Amino acid sequence: MRVRLMLSTAVLALSAVTAPVLAPPAGAAGTLTIAQAQDPNTWDPISTFLIAWGAVASNMFDGLVLRDEQLTLKPGLATSWEVLDEGMRLRFKLRQGVTFHNGEPFDAEAVRFTMTRLLGPEGAKGPQQSNYTSIGSVEVLDPYTVDIVLKRPDPVMISKLAGYGAMIVPPKYTAEKGSAEFGQHPVGTGPFKVTGYENKVSLTLEPSAGHWDGKPKLDKVVYRFIVEPNTQVAELQAGRVDVASNVPIALIPAITASPSLHLLSTTGPTVTVLRFNTANGPTRDERVRRAMVMAVDREAIVKQILQGHAKAVTSFQSTLSFGFDPAQKPVPFDPAGAKKLLAEAKLPPGTVVSLDFRSNDTTFREVAQAIAGYLTAAGLKAQVRPFEMNLFTNDIIPNGKTGEMFQMGWGGWTFDYDNTAYLMYHSGEHWNPYDKDAGLDAMLEGQRRIADRGEREKALQKIANFVADHALELPLYNVDTYYGVNRRVKGLVVPPDNRFRLIGTSVE
Amino acid sequence: MRYRSLEFLLGAGLTGAMVLAVLLSDLLFAGGADAMDLAMRLTLPFQSWPHPLGTDPLGRDVLARVVSGGQVSLTVGVLSVATAATAGTVAGLVAGYYRGAWDMVLMRWADVQLALPFILVALTFAAILGTDMWKLILFMAIAQWVQYARVVRSATIALRERDFVVAAQAVGVRDPAIIFRHILPNAAAPVLVLMTLNVANNILLESSLTFLGLGIDPMIPSWGGMLADGRTYLQTAWWVSVFPGLAIMLTVLGLNLLGDWLRDRTDPTTRSAP
Amino acid sequence: MGRFLAQRFALAVFVVFVVTLLVAWAIRLSGDPAVMLAEGSSSFSAQDLRNIRAALGLDRPFWAQYAGFVAGMLTGDMGRSFMGGVPVAKMVAQALPLTLLLALLSLAVSLLISVPLGVQAAVHRGGWSDQAIRIVSLLGLSFPNFWLAIMLVLVFSIALGWLPPSGAEGFAGLVMPVATMAIILSATNVRLVRTAMLETLGAQYITVARSKGLSETVVLYKHALRNCAIPLITFIGLQFGGLIGGVVVVERVFNWPGMGSLAFDAVASRDYPVLQAVVTVLAAMIVLVNLLVDVLYGLVDPRVRGT
Repeated sequence: MRVRLMLSTAVLALSAVTAPVLAPPAGAAGTLTIAQAQDPNTWDPISTFLIAWGAVASNMFDGLVLRDEQLTLKPGLATSWEVLDEGMRLRFKLRQGVTFHNGEPFDAEAVRFTMTRLLGPEGAKGPQQSNYTSIGSVEVLDPYTVDIVLKRPDPVMISKLAGYGAMIVPPKYTAEKGSAEFGQHPVGTGPFKVTGYENKVSLTLEPSAGHWDGKPKLDKVVYRFIVEPNTQVAELQAGRVDVASNVPIALIPAITASPSLHLLSTTGPTVTVLRFNTANGPTRDERVRRAMVMAVDREAIVKQILQGHAKAVTSFQSTLSFGFDPAQKPVPFDPAGAKKLLAEAKLPPGTVVSLDFRSNDTTFREVAQAIAGYLTAAGLKAQVRPFEMNLFTNDIIPNGKTGEMFQMGWGGWTFDYDNTAYLMYHSGEHWNPYDKDAGLDAMLEGQRRIADRGEREKALQKIANFVADHALELPLYNVDTYYGVNRRVKGLVVPPDNRFRLIGTSVE
Repeated sequence: MRYRSLEFLLGAGLTGAMVLAVLLSDLLFAGGADAMDLAMRLTLPFQSWPHPLGTDPLGRDVLARVVSGGQVSLTVGVLSVATAATAGTVAGLVAGYYRGAWDMVLMRWADVQLALPFILVALTFAAILGTDMWKLILFMAIAQWVQYARVVRSATIALRERDFVVAAQAVGVRDPAIIFRHILPNAAAPVLVLMTLNVANNILLESSLTFLGLGIDPMIPSWGGMLADGRTYLQTAWWVSVFPGLAIMLTVLGLNLLGDWLRDRTDPTTRSAP
Repeated sequence: MGRFLAQRFALAVFVVFVVTLLVAWAIRLSGDPAVMLAEGSSSFSAQDLRNIRAALGLDRPFWAQYAGFVAGMLTGDMGRSFMGGVPVAKMVAQALPLTLLLALLSLAVSLLISVPLGVQAAVHRGGWSDQAIRIVSLLGLSFPNFWLAIMLVLVFSIALGWLPPSGAEGFAGLVMPVATMAIILSATNVRLVRTAMLETLGAQYITVARSKGLSETVVLYKHALRNCAIPLITFIGLQFGGLIGGVVVVERVFNWPGMGSLAFDAVASRDYPVLQAVVTVLAAMIVLVNLLVDVLYGLVDPRVRGT
């Protein structure tokens, strides 16, 4: 019995210790609560690459350029810009009278500081620097005019200035605090400022007075970091969060059936394909690869498993992507043709092919099994192998240890096919362990040097068609970005890149 | 005594029926567990003959998958426990009977293992090495042999001082004979209890690892995997995870009833108790 | 006794030391935190990776990294997380009390359930209440904790709306995580109490106590149960590691920001400093609990001290 007494004393003592951590939940009028899976752990723009960061940070930072929900580029901290020296110099006129949340003024010096920091030794410690290496220098012409001079042409640079590493930070504050401290107490010029942050638990935003883009209608935004998608939906159903960011396909009917909830969706940036091991094994043979593409009914997978919340694709990009070719025709579902082609390739029936995927992707877990089912029906013996995410992306793929097929989901927030194609097909790239084709390499390098938009688009479309013609991959689908939302939330526009701007949003 | 035999009947009946169904699954559902039909996904149970327990999200027959799913689950449960119990018992007997340096080394290693939460170790190794059924069995055996070693060791230490062992030593019976004839049978009861508990435990452990994203090939049905994969469907299609759950429940019940009965028959202390 | 304690303590320190070495070695077997940090950017070069590795201190040999970690732990500096540079000590200080609260409370509730039930079953051995208790307790062994947790959420949060589905928010937030763990722990504990009680009830002093005319309640709870305490405490000591392991899963379902969540994220992102610190702290705790059990044991049973 003494044990029990000891325990209860211990518990009492503990509850005294933990009392401050156990904060009451939000959920009041004027407060929007959003559940998302991941806490980026740092809010410093140079230290992150996570969509989870962008989803939140677009409310606390501004870039020189702003990209809206329709993906059009608009003035941000720069009121206008012009492209000079045949694309090698970008001149920005800056907005006047803007201050950071801590009162520091925004001017050309802040732009120079931000870029120098990003490209300097501090930026080298993080993942963002490599996105901006085409920048040679930043020249301040006067307090409100600044030039970004490029070392080589970078057609995507203006888009890149609208997010992530190029978010403008206050020079004095940032230099004083250092990256780690800044990451915990970020300061920007965005419409909301951070008023509370507890690692892995929650982040609280409140409107910043006098933002140039207008005053937010919300009094408070609370982000709660909830890993398990099931739990996010349970919180949504219990009315304790207003937006659930990660809704499992299985739970979509539960949301649409509820009178107080609905599903908001839009075309997403991520395209999923199965890439082939083109260097070894049965998939070395182009006919085998083509047969496998023919054997899988993508439309049925999209309709039945993904409940229509995706679009079948013909290449590794969405319809929103620059480089998308509307004329490209999908390979039709043709099991008989697939069998014939396999026989032609003299592949013995029952040949084992394995399909490798990331084990934490519950939706793809089902898709993978369906694909394996189709391949089995075509006479192959397909096995499905889940891999831990880190192992998969850091070892299995880059070191070429995959089976015949492996899952790849990609889609840069810049919506430019170059961002995918170069990394996936150019020989020697991290994500390309197998493909080696001098012609393809030349096409990939060539399009980067084309300044004319129309010409470059044609070059990108040619690459997409080349990849499909040689069946380098089994194109699958472009899954929608969708959120479970409480109907009390008004004016929430779902952006394709997950980067919410909550200025116009309100709750009843 | 009336309840004793009821316990045996129920335990043996349940376990026997499960094992039989699982062994015969290949005959009962030839190819049925893998047959996929997306158009028939999530059919309700008890509605049609071809799919008496409904279908899963890929339109596969739940009954066929539950029955053949037992192959993996029971293999994992039984083999991991058998391996761990054998290794642990041998180690425990040696350590407890001879004491000395080996005892010291074994027990310190046991301390190290007991200080590591299993799930974290499994998480780390599954992440690093990947998982398949055999690796899973190996993880479990490596993690659990310690439990048996400790139990057997302490029983052996106590038994070593008992009159019948001392007497046997005095008349010159050799060590292996003493260990296997006199000590092992008297130390067997707690081992059996632990084994029955752990078979159930390990079937569930496979499920937890799938939940954490570290399961085996999802094309191969297993109760734990089906339970974990079906969890998101609990609100919209309960049958996907409830039926494999029921299979686990009946197996656990059967095995433990059998274990209890076995223990009562082998354990001298409870046998003499009123 | 002093020598016994000193010996035990030295062993405990040794065990924790071996554990840290094992973890530091194992986590580095595969995966690269630098790639993890870099891979989201649209392209990165070998030089980018070298920069990131240097910034994280991963360019040093393993022994230097490990020595740095041990030296840090001894001086109370657990380093900074690779993901965001948060001091690990701060993360652990936030998470540890929450995990301990969950673990100890679950243990306490499970004892409150299983002791009376176990005694009842032992006293009426073979009777209907014994059978019922044992079969019901087996049900607790038949589903994994995450499944029970989800079922509880479906009933108490979604259907009835009584309890919050997740989060460490005061008493209401504790109910379901504790219930999940306690139900599953009780299944084993009931059986343990029953067995221990059966052995004690057969002993002579119980017969003596009964013959003195003491009431059955006094005999059971004062004399018999006290003598069951030793095997019970031993088992709880052994169970503690498993208890912490179960917390990993339960914390995830209920989004409880404890050590389990921390460890899980750390494995996934190869955040060496966090994982090393979490495992070391947990291992130290488990070893400490087992040390206490040993000491209690040694106090009661002098024969054990020889080991």
